[in-house]
Amino acid sequence: MAKQQSREQGITLRGSAEIVAEFFSYGINSILYQRGIYPAETFTRVQKYGLTMLVTADSELKNYLNNVVGQLKEWLSECLVQRLVVVISSKETTEVLERWQFDIECDKTAKNENAPRQKSQKAIQDEIKSVIRQITATVTFLPLLETTCAFDLLIFTDKDLAVPEKWEESGPQFITNSEEVRLRSFTTTIHKVNSMVAYKKDTLL
Amino acid sequence: MASDGNEWELSKENVQPLRQGRIMATLQGVLAQQDVSTHTIIQQQKRAFESEIRFYCGDDPLDIWDRYIKWTEQTFPQGGKESNLSAVLERAIQALNEQQRYYQDPRYLSLWLKFGNCCSEPLDLYSYLHSQAIGTTLAQLYITWAEELEARGNYKKADTIFQEGIFCKAEPLDKLLSQHREFQARVSRQALEELENDGDVEEQMDSSVSEPQRSTLAELKGRGKKVIKAPISRVGNAVKFPSQGQRLQYPPPQQASIRPTFSVFDENKMADSPPDLPVLVPQPWVAPPPTKSKENELKAGPWTMGRRPRSNMDSSVLASAVTPSFTPYVEETAQQQAMTPHKIESSINCVLSARKPGKEEDPLHRVQSHHQDGQEKKEQPMYCKERVYAGVEEFSLEEIRAEIYRKKRREELQTLAQKKAELQRKIEEMEKVVREQQENHKQKLGVQQQVEQETAAEFSAVSKDLKFSPTEQQNVLDTEPIVEGFLPECFSLKSNFELAENNQCKNSNSSDAEISPAVNSSMLFSIFDESSALENKTASLSLGLSLVCGKHPLVVRKLSESITAKENIPPENSDELHGIEPLSEVAIVTGSHKNKTLCPNPEDTCDFVRAAHLVSTPFHGVTEQRNQLGDKLEQECLESKTTPLNQQIAVSEEQYDEAIYVKKLSPILEASQEDTRSSASSGSPTQISTVKFQQIPEKLELVHTTDEITNDAENASDDSPEGLQNTECKQFLRRLPDLLTKASGFKLEAQLMPWMELEKEVNLGNAIYHITREYLISQNDKIFSAVPANVTNKDSTAFLIKVHSEPVPWDFYILLQLQERLDAEFVENFSQYFTCFLYHNGCVTLHETICCVTLQDMIQYYKVIPREVVLLIVDNLLEVVEKLHKAEIIHGNLNPETLFLGDRIYNPFAMEKTNRALKIVDFSHSLDLQLQPTVNSLKSFPITQTQIGQQIFDETTPVHQVDLLGIANIAHLILFGEYLQVHQEKDSWKTNRDLSQSIDGDLWNTFFDKILNANGKSTVPLLRDLREELSSSFDSSFPKRLCDSITKLEDLLHVGDMILT
Repeated sequence: MAKQQSREQGITLRGSAEIVAEFFSYGINSILYQRGIYPAETFTRVQKYGLTMLVTADSELKNYLNNVVGQLKEWLSECLVQRLVVVISSKETTEVLERWQFDIECDKTAKNENAPRQKSQKAIQDEIKSVIRQITATVTFLPLLETTCAFDLLIFTDKDLAVPEKWEESGPQFITNSEEVRLRSFTTTIHKVNSMVAYKKDTLL
Repeated sequence: MASDGNEWELSKENVQPLRQGRIMATLQGVLAQQDVSTHTIIQQQKRAFESEIRFYCGDDPLDIWDRYIKWTEQTFPQGGKESNLSAVLERAIQALNEQQRYYQDPRYLSLWLKFGNCCSEPLDLYSYLHSQAIGTTLAQLYITWAEELEARGNYKKADTIFQEGIFCKAEPLDKLLSQHREFQARVSRQALEELENDGDVEEQMDSSVSEPQRSTLAELKGRGKKVIKAPISRVGNAVKFPSQGQRLQYPPPQQASIRPTFSVFDENKMADSPPDLPVLVPQPWVAPPPTKSKENELKAGPWTMGRRPRSNMDSSVLASAVTPSFTPYVEETAQQQAMTPHKIESSINCVLSARKPGKEEDPLHRVQSHHQDGQEKKEQPMYCKERVYAGVEEFSLEEIRAEIYRKKRREELQTLAQKKAELQRKIEEMEKVVREQQENHKQKLGVQQQVEQETAAEFSAVSKDLKFSPTEQQNVLDTEPIVEGFLPECFSLKSNFELAENNQCKNSNSSDAEISPAVNSSMLFSIFDESSALENKTASLSLGLSLVCGKHPLVVRKLSESITAKENIPPENSDELHGIEPLSEVAIVTGSHKNKTLCPNPEDTCDFVRAAHLVSTPFHGVTEQRNQLGDKLEQECLESKTTPLNQQIAVSEEQYDEAIYVKKLSPILEASQEDTRSSASSGSPTQISTVKFQQIPEKLELVHTTDEITNDAENASDDSPEGLQNTECKQFLRRLPDLLTKASGFKLEAQLMPWMELEKEVNLGNAIYHITREYLISQNDKIFSAVPANVTNKDSTAFLIKVHSEPVPWDFYILLQLQERLDAEFVENFSQYFTCFLYHNGCVTLHETICCVTLQDMIQYYKVIPREVVLLIVDNLLEVVEKLHKAEIIHGNLNPETLFLGDRIYNPFAMEKTNRALKIVDFSHSLDLQLQPTVNSLKSFPITQTQIGQQIFDETTPVHQVDLLGIANIAHLILFGEYLQVHQEKDSWKTNRDLSQSIDGDLWNTFFDKILNANGKSTVPLLRDLREELSSSFDSSFPKRLCDSITKLEDLLHVGDMILT
């Protein structure tokens, strides 16, 4: 991170992948905390994007996330990822209750470019900040998760990608009869992330 | 920023989270509300719920409340006073109080639990619910209850609640069990951590020192000696022992030192707690627990604590010092427009004011008292109290009434719309048919244009055809009341319009028929100039009848020009009047036409006066006529068409004024209004009111029957075959053969015919009759039912007065002929006692003791006429026609409106007289074949003017068929409530209706088949044949069934009578 800041004001593909992966790392942590998937006491606070972020202190979870984000970063720099989905489902019934979807648009032309793109680090950070803030604010409309829940990470990649060892193929895990809310998006000029949350509508009016 | 759909984020602090989540669309909509419109929409929705609560008639009132509450939660995300949620909940609970069936309904329970959130002591409420056995089989109660207890740290009690729930096998049990497991996990973890904490609090402090953090309520002073480290960082774990979101508060470490000396009982630490768990004992609650602390409620406190108000000086000093000496930190990215949206418009939201203490009763107290009231219930409100106060808002009685009205109206409109669509469809169909026929006719016309005389006749035929379209529509409109019993206004207006059209086309046609334009104008119009009265008279005489149509400005304008030319009126007059021409025609037309009795209408009079002024151009006053006016007017109404034209009256402006201001407008004046008006716009210097003989003043009445139009057509063309026919027999009768004058019951009255009007009395012979009802046959013929003035009539029999506007006792003649030719059979279907009064200008036939209910009435009042009665009527009809034809008389106009019910139907004691189901009194269109053996044209019969008549009849059809078709039409009408429609199939006529599904389908199929396809066969045997066909259904049980069904009709007939009379 320090390295990035010291660098010139320009975005390379690799740097962009790093920024996006970092966003996902914090974003997923944030969701897990906000939605109470893991006990609140297992989170610690860190300063990031000018916000106080909560990241898990659970070593197992940390490892898992690092693993995923590492892989994600790799794919991002190859522009192979289309979408990342955080699926929250009931532990008992395995019913999908919430679905956080981050659509990633990769500018594949950046692979062949050498010149970095012009966008200030700060601008990107501000955009990310507003996304994170929105994730936090979603409690205003999301239903209460009454049962214990588990989460799942789905990454949608290009078709021709070989499935790595620790990964398996899965369905999209949609919610039937859901209410969808678009959140803000941010872009590094190479990667654009559109976020959206979907939740069950059955119990509503 | 508010526009990009992120209002929810900007207002996130104003949105209360909901257990079931929120609908984004609603949330956005509510938060984005900037204008009054959204607010009114919300108010309307609320209103809808409120009224639904009041007018709900289903069996699940909880459903509305449930939806109402959910809607309230979604629509008022910020909660608070405006949402009125607690009031709604409270009212719902009151409304559904004691409804045992809802006690185990999850919706009802959730209602209570939500209400519990509004209470300060939800625990009380839960135990109340438990004691009342509300929701005791539902897991949600126990879960919520236990959560609350857990939040308060009462783990033991919480566990008891879970145990209780599991014991009761509350549904869903697995959810309850899993919640219980989670609860136990939380508690054990808690206990574990507590044990660790108990050991050494300080140790924990030390362990956490490694990370930068700020201890709760610690001083923000710098610590340390060399490096001053201010614990300003908010990052890191606060020294709040992990309690997993529960409200269990531990004393902060700093306070540990100043702990009070007494020991606090800690049940968790108690090792020697009793091993048995406390059992949940239901408490004997009478009412739900009271109180709920609202944010503004006053707390009890020492009243001496109040501060003395500061002096003014102080406050001013304070105000000056208000400006902060520091600059508040503003985030660089903060944008001005990213402000939280304003709450609601100020016009909607009232200014907050402090709640008056004690003014408002506590809501739960109300619930409580309501519950107690419900148990006592001594008062009986004499108004619909439950509706006024059913919802949260109060409805006024008027609003309730309006709502009921609207509901009814909506239903009515729906049925009306359906009917209208159906009618529209029918009209279109008919118009199509008519158009086709017109085409055909025009082609024929072209061939026949050789002899000039013939051409004139044909023109009249065309004019008939053109009028035919409105006639058809009228027919359709007539069927409407038969089906439904009332004629909606929209239709009546429409028919009015059609009438206007009809008139116009009549005029244009008749003018076409004329050769010179000069005659044309005089045909339509005649001008009276009192200075040359004689000349005018001759002119008027030459044209016979003047038909004026004042409703169409176009026509009138044309007239005015031709008239100006003819009469040599100074051009400036007409010019001037062209400008003033548009009088509110609509007002006049509709005004006078709607008014059946033609009573003075103030609006009309206004226009009337204006019209009179318009004509007040050069006028040579005729004073002598003024005196005559009254008399003349009286005469006018008695005049008939055939009387000499000496009744034309010149009416001066003054006379009109007089009529308007001094006398009240007489019906005749009013009726002649259109004439006056059109002459006004024509700009003639004086005006003449050529009052058309208003034997029946409502000549423009809405019920414009077929006959009427036909007659109009006849009048328009004097040389039509019908005209010849009529004149023939008229001439024959005018000679008054001895046959008539010597017959008993014939009275020659050497005077004008008395004026007859509904609800008036009339002197006939030496008796006075009170007219109770009128049946319109045509313009010239009318039937009134009347009762002798000195007799209060008890049954539905009455005198029927048939009025004919010409001094030709045709009806009487036919009756006499029938009496003679039928002998004993005569009484069965014709009136036994009849008298004829012949006046100078008309003829009245009086029939005694005849039921005044027509077949039409019966069809109209009973949706379904019993099968037996139908058979009886049709059989009788066949019999009558058979008799008539045997006597060589053609009835010519068999019409349900003029067929009166006979003894058999209305008189319960006339059981044997099965052949007396109908009485015929109207013979206006009858033909005596002995008198006029060569009748070739069918045009004179009304039925030939209908669609079906046009379809079936051609030039060669024998006259007898007219009656056959009449029978078929009536039979169809009785059976199905609508007129017969036919189509041709393999050279034979078939009804459009599929009879196979109806009762006696085969029977009626053969019936219609035979009667429609007589093909010139002799009718008498055919009719007999048909009767035999029908009689197959008269089995041995028939008389009994007939009696039954007639008795059923009986009551209804009398009810119908009440309405009729």
